[in-house]
Amino acid sequence: MSLWLLAWQRFLRDRVGIASAIVVVVFIAIAAASAAGWVARDWGKEVGVSYAPPRFVKPNPAEQKAGLAGPSDVSRNDYGIRDPLAPELAEIRAGLAGASPTEKRATSLAFGADKWGRDVLQKAVKGTETSLVVGLASAALAAFLGTLFGAFAGYRGGWVDDFFNWLYSVFTAIPYLLLVLAIAAVLGQKGVSTVILILGLTGWTGIFRLVRAEYLKHKVREYVLAADSIGASDARRMFAHILPNVSHVVLVQLSLHVVLFIKSEVILSFLGFGVGIDTVSWGSMLAEAPSELILGMWWQITAATIAMALAVTAFSLFTDSVRDALDPRLE
Amino acid sequence: MSYLVRRLWQFVPTLAGVILLVFFLFNWVGGDPAYMLAGKIASPEAIENIRRQIGVDQPYWVQLWIFVKQVATADFGASWSTNERVSQIFATRLGPSLTVLIPLLLASTLLSLAVAMLVAYYRGSLTDRAAMIGCTVGQSISILVYILVFQYVLGYQLAWFPVQGWGSTLGENLTRYAVLPIVVGVVVSLAPDIRLYRTFFLDEIGQDYVRTARAKGLGEGRVLWLHVLRNAAIPVATNVLIQLPGLLAGAFLIERFFSIPGIGREVILAVERSDFPVIKAVTVYVAIATMVMNLTADLLYRALDPRVQLK
Amino acid sequence: MRALGLLLALAISGAQAADPAKILRVTFQAAETGFDPAKVSDYYSGTVIEAIFDPLLTYDYLARPATLVPNTAVALPRITDGGRTYTLQVRRGIYFAEDAAFKGARRELTALDYAYSLRRFLDPKNRSPYAFLFEGIAGIETPDRQTIVIRLKRTDFNFAHVLAFPLAGAVAREAIEHYGDESAAHPVGSGPFRLKRYVRSSKIVLEANPGFREVTREGERLPKIGGVEVSIMEETQSRWLAFQRGESDMEYQLSEVASAFITEDGKLRPEFAARGIQLDRSVDPEIIYLYFNMQDKTVGGLAKEKIALRRAIAMSYSVDDQIRIIRKGQAVRAQYPIPPGVAGHDPDYRSAIPHDPRAANALLDRFGYRRGADGFRRMPGGEPLVIRYSSMPTERDRQFDELMKRALDSIGVRLEIHKDRFPELLKLENQCRLMVKHSAWIADYPDGDNFMQLLYGPNSGQSNNACYKSAEYDKRYERSRLLPQGPARDRLYHEMARLMETDTVWLLTDSRYRNVLLQPRVQGFHKHPVMHQEWLYIDLELPR
Repeated sequence: MSLWLLAWQRFLRDRVGIASAIVVVVFIAIAAASAAGWVARDWGKEVGVSYAPPRFVKPNPAEQKAGLAGPSDVSRNDYGIRDPLAPELAEIRAGLAGASPTEKRATSLAFGADKWGRDVLQKAVKGTETSLVVGLASAALAAFLGTLFGAFAGYRGGWVDDFFNWLYSVFTAIPYLLLVLAIAAVLGQKGVSTVILILGLTGWTGIFRLVRAEYLKHKVREYVLAADSIGASDARRMFAHILPNVSHVVLVQLSLHVVLFIKSEVILSFLGFGVGIDTVSWGSMLAEAPSELILGMWWQITAATIAMALAVTAFSLFTDSVRDALDPRLE
Repeated sequence: MSYLVRRLWQFVPTLAGVILLVFFLFNWVGGDPAYMLAGKIASPEAIENIRRQIGVDQPYWVQLWIFVKQVATADFGASWSTNERVSQIFATRLGPSLTVLIPLLLASTLLSLAVAMLVAYYRGSLTDRAAMIGCTVGQSISILVYILVFQYVLGYQLAWFPVQGWGSTLGENLTRYAVLPIVVGVVVSLAPDIRLYRTFFLDEIGQDYVRTARAKGLGEGRVLWLHVLRNAAIPVATNVLIQLPGLLAGAFLIERFFSIPGIGREVILAVERSDFPVIKAVTVYVAIATMVMNLTADLLYRALDPRVQLK
Repeated sequence: MRALGLLLALAISGAQAADPAKILRVTFQAAETGFDPAKVSDYYSGTVIEAIFDPLLTYDYLARPATLVPNTAVALPRITDGGRTYTLQVRRGIYFAEDAAFKGARRELTALDYAYSLRRFLDPKNRSPYAFLFEGIAGIETPDRQTIVIRLKRTDFNFAHVLAFPLAGAVAREAIEHYGDESAAHPVGSGPFRLKRYVRSSKIVLEANPGFREVTREGERLPKIGGVEVSIMEETQSRWLAFQRGESDMEYQLSEVASAFITEDGKLRPEFAARGIQLDRSVDPEIIYLYFNMQDKTVGGLAKEKIALRRAIAMSYSVDDQIRIIRKGQAVRAQYPIPPGVAGHDPDYRSAIPHDPRAANALLDRFGYRRGADGFRRMPGGEPLVIRYSSMPTERDRQFDELMKRALDSIGVRLEIHKDRFPELLKLENQCRLMVKHSAWIADYPDGDNFMQLLYGPNSGQSNNACYKSAEYDKRYERSRLLPQGPARDRLYHEMARLMETDTVWLLTDSRYRNVLLQPRVQGFHKHPVMHQEWLYIDLELPR
């Protein structure tokens, strides 16, 4: 317990660590607000013209009124073929006669619009929620699997260890791309949950290796052998006694994997295995980049890159500080 | 020696696991290429004919046994879509991949070692902190963005290098076409490598023998150069070795944008076409390469550092 | 002495106009698969095959609409037996390119080669994806070395187009047997170009065939260029930047960046025109359409409320937005199943399906598709209503997903996106197991029949991906096959198009512009509606 207290005190003396922690908290707050619907709720609405530039590039936004598409020029010649729906459609047309509604679209937005006219700034905020959820959830899944497997392998030894080592070898031997494609094909494309599963099911190997090493180290320590003498069960020893002493390693790994998975989500989106069209993530924004950048539409890629850079840098620095606080280098 | 034998023996169940996993995953979800090979308009007989020709009409255990034999003889047959022999595909695609990867690894390793040493020398200072934060920021930008921006700025706007493509001779490739992809690759791997190597150096600096050397009056620079670098060489070398097989298939993004006819790009093509022979071969070869590299790395550790206990 | 020899050589080679200094550089945006005509189906392989092999007939370079002319045949075929027998004479003095397979001999092209080549398509060992084009052949005879007689199972006035198909070029038996499984990498033809260097999925280098027969245009021998260099480049950014840098001579696969070089009214932007860059613009002979699986439980069948459901979905989809946002304005609305440039096209025909989301909503209300508490409509009987739209996991298809979502959201219908890779989607489509999907068809030959067969009942499970089986449609189609192009056939086609609309099997969306950008040095280029490439006719102006 005093390990944590000492670590906390060391952390408080780390200015960079505190600054990055604040940034991380801000991002989590943005994500939570987005999830609750307080911000970016209407990110999907098309409020601007297609590829509207940012306001700081085009300072005087005008409003473009466009007639919403009404019934277009239709043929009246039926060439002798009767339309089974003719009577109903005639009645409907008579009933709807009148002016068609118009919609207003802005010609520039705060940080510009994407191809459909959606606000890039709102997309970046909503993307924060999605990317953070994906990063955190998949890291949690990977950490859970890695810790569980590592605990069993390291503690039990014998054929249990052999089995998990074999699983580890197989998973790490297969090229990552192929593993991802195969799992994506099995799971189908159900959106955010698929992405989380893909990343979590392929990312547990690093954590497994480290946790297993820790368990190997700890299981011969005095406090574990002592627990043996009071008749504690294996499960109790693994999770109630050793795990708390190993948790700082797991925590740091979890944090590292959050960063890794946020970045991996970008590649998955580029390959077509990202989130569905009902939501937006930094990865889905960046996946549109190749076709936009050469047209000179730089604002979406910039917004997503800046948001991701800030969040990932803050998270990485925070992780470094946490690791330094928990396990300082004697220098 | 017995350690080596035991590790080699462990190759077999691992390879078996890889074979089974790949076989079932891709047979189950890899799809049926017969419809695609059959063309725009194909009768059921034509489709059956194709399935018979490529051998997917056999029961699973027969196909699995054929796969095992293929692994043993290293002959995976021919691509289903282009009819090119898989061994030929590998022979011709490996060259371009390595032409980019080997200089990339060399350049990024040397560069990041140099910077990491500098930073380790000035550890704790503002320079160190600033450099580390710089690395962190650099690492937070996606490789996709790097490729796009570099290709646009260096290849197009400044016209320093060709935007894409591949030449016919090694010399031409190394001096013209591979440069931009290598530059992008180096920039992307600099940040994580610097951080990692800095950790290695700091680990070594904390060791007893360094204190002894300092006590003997050796300057900090010599300490770093002579002793720390030499000892950090093992983890650095093993780090590079372990990365290589993964990079072969993982370089697909760079290969795709720069139109380099390498293995990574071939893998994507094969997956898009459900070209099972190519997918099987790549998986098995990369798996074997990974296992060999891991074993080599572990052996290096064991041979050069008797303190490390490998069970 | 050497200079004299060089001068002599130059004088002799003056007879061959192909200038080795003139190398045309082009790109493909997808990898080829190989160059054996009986074994490939993709467009890019077909392009190279067209340059290497000689079919019996070809198309006049400049005549529009596309007009058949003899190639290696002496004249257009003699058609007898009410359109069931085609007789042609093969010209003398045409030779295959030199190859090791001929063991040093000079190999003349004969009718026997065409018989061999066409029969290869019907051999199941070759599993040719284009076998369907030739399966109407009942028998081939060669009464002498220069004459070929093809007998068909049924009347077909379009078979001459099949003989002009690029894959119908002549291959030599000796070459196929000599190279065996490697025939796809060693094409041996009698055409204007031959394969010089080949790096799979990366580079294809062709050079002018030195033994090519005399073909002239305006007094000059063809081809004028000495070779073609094809690079495979998948990414649009790579191709666009390469063209602007002058690394490629021609580029047309640039629809994503069209707004960078084309104004809204279809003209080349001034900054490009000032550099001498040329634009050749034409509409591709293709149609892109959204289809409903007529055998599906949810959307299929001819019951009135099902027609209403399909009609409402079709009326909610904005083709204008597809053209404006996804195609960046580089497409024309497709009103008729037969696109421009294809015999049977009617430019005055208008679709009977409007874009009218309000009417669509009213239609669904009227037929009992009531909205539930969640705002989404249910089936008339109360069961949930989910439209499953299938597409590939690419960035491009994602845009169509979004457009589909907007359409269905505007009428309150729940959407489920089904993602799968191309081979799997193809399989499910052929098994009539998809529900709603986009599809496209580009002309194999410039006749409307090639398009109207897409809705013919017996083709269900193959090219009829809507799995549409209508007795009314089928009987009109069968009658149309017995007629040559003309008003009588047009009348039938109009009725068939109306049937397609009133049953709402498809929603036709668009046909894309082919914008070909050319460097100033490219001369004499006119995009042909059917031929894949124009390399035989192009010239390059070299700097002095």
